[in-house]
Amino acid sequence: MLKDITLGQFFPGDTIAHRLDPRTKLLLVVLFIVALFQARGWVAYGTLTLVVAVCMTLSHISPRNIFKGLKPMIFIIALTGVLNIFYTSGTPILPGWIITWEGIARAIQMVLRIVLLITGTFLLTYTTSPIALTDGLELLLNPLKKLRFPVHEMTIMMSMALRFIPTLIEETDKIMSAQKARGADFETGSLMDRAKALLPVLVPLFVSAFRRADELAVAMESRCYHGGEGRTRMKQLIFQGRDYIALALGVLLLAGIIYLKKWGL
Amino acid sequence: MSIIKFENVHYTYPGDQLESLCGVSLEIEEGSFVAVLGHNGSGKSTLAKHMNAILVPTEGKVTVCGIDSADEERLIQLRRNVGMVFQNPDNQIVANVVEDDVAFAPENLGVEPKEIRRRVDEALKLVGMYEKRQHAPHLLSGGQKQRVAIAGVIAMEPKIIVLDEPTAMLDPIGREEVISTITRLCREKGMTVVLITHHMDECVGADRLIVMSNGSVVADGLPAEVFADIGLMEREGLTVPETTRLLYDLKQRGMDLPLTALDVDACAKEIVEKLRG
Repeated sequence: MLKDITLGQFFPGDTIAHRLDPRTKLLLVVLFIVALFQARGWVAYGTLTLVVAVCMTLSHISPRNIFKGLKPMIFIIALTGVLNIFYTSGTPILPGWIITWEGIARAIQMVLRIVLLITGTFLLTYTTSPIALTDGLELLLNPLKKLRFPVHEMTIMMSMALRFIPTLIEETDKIMSAQKARGADFETGSLMDRAKALLPVLVPLFVSAFRRADELAVAMESRCYHGGEGRTRMKQLIFQGRDYIALALGVLLLAGIIYLKKWGL
Repeated sequence: MSIIKFENVHYTYPGDQLESLCGVSLEIEEGSFVAVLGHNGSGKSTLAKHMNAILVPTEGKVTVCGIDSADEERLIQLRRNVGMVFQNPDNQIVANVVEDDVAFAPENLGVEPKEIRRRVDEALKLVGMYEKRQHAPHLLSGGQKQRVAIAGVIAMEPKIIVLDEPTAMLDPIGREEVISTITRLCREKGMTVVLITHHMDECVGADRLIVMSNGSVVADGLPAEVFADIGLMEREGLTVPETTRLLYDLKQRGMDLPLTALDVDACAKEIVEKLRG
């Protein structure tokens, strides 16, 4: 069950989406999120959905993988939908009902917004290796170094965290199996019972995570890690023509959505 | 010429009463393959950690490539000459892609990007993982992960590679992969290899075998010679190769045999010659 978590997972490939500079992709995601929150009408939502669909096709990411990533979010998505259906005033669909036409429309838009938001960010992490991603982030945030913001430290922490997600998931699976073998029950009982059953899993998990961190630190030091100073990179990031084109398209999309908003579409 | 030199090294872990190393003195020749054998708690890992200044002696002196390990100014210079590979491959791989991980050390050293690329490709080819350079490390087998870890230190172009029980978590195939890789590095690339282990069969191919016990060196010599001292090996709770064991048992029963034949063929030859008189 834990194997299904695909958050932060990278699918290697050689598509245009994979070849784009990570900085470009990061900026595009920011542009996309801003555009998403500017969307008001069906035309805007339709355009954004279309854009996501095109990007998915371009990056050869199957809808199944996207759906897998969305699964853990289903509760939040459903809750948003339900709340919007019931708490939006307007014309009731049948006389006397609380459910309104506006509520349904709004619910669909909100659900679409969350789904697109998640899908958009997934497209980034699916097509960009975490190292490239953190490298891109470090370069984008570089100006903050002047304000003594620890950009390098932050990005290396992020990439380490991403690196250890699969390892820790595997470990959690192992601990849970070992406890199941000794009669622990994670599947039945009330929510409270199940939460309690997880506690004995978390304790060994944390202990081993700390031990891992310690060993990792020694291994990093042995490989001459001494902070970001004087570090070089094997994979240099250089903006290509395609990056400028992609960014231009992103800006165009945002401008278009804002324009549509003016017309209420 | 000796590349690593321990002079009367004592070490006590902070908060410990007992010394983990009690007066170790030894020299390791450049280009040799040295195996260090010992039980848990014998001080062999502590010894290894002194070789790249993760630990600094509480008393005595460690010199590696002419650099005193207590000299913090030259710490990076020392460490780039000593590659360390640890027991758990998962805890020493820092990146999500094999080649990015191998690039980590040269990146830290500020090497030119083109040169890093060359080193990474060369290191991966040396350990036979070049085809897997785009893979995610967590999807590799234990032996493959450990070979990536070895490539990660080779990319620093160190003179010495120290392996602290690199095979302890591996299956027999993984162990074989790792041992043959490091043997090749020593024989073909002239790297000095220090292998810390508790598997005696991994020491057979070494030039020199050091046995540690309770923080001291109790035996030091050619593997065949060290194994031949069966009394000592048994006192240390260490097994000896089956060939040595056979020759020893035969000797106990009155056959006058040398105990230094390590591989099966040499052992058979000794016995045949003895029987023919």
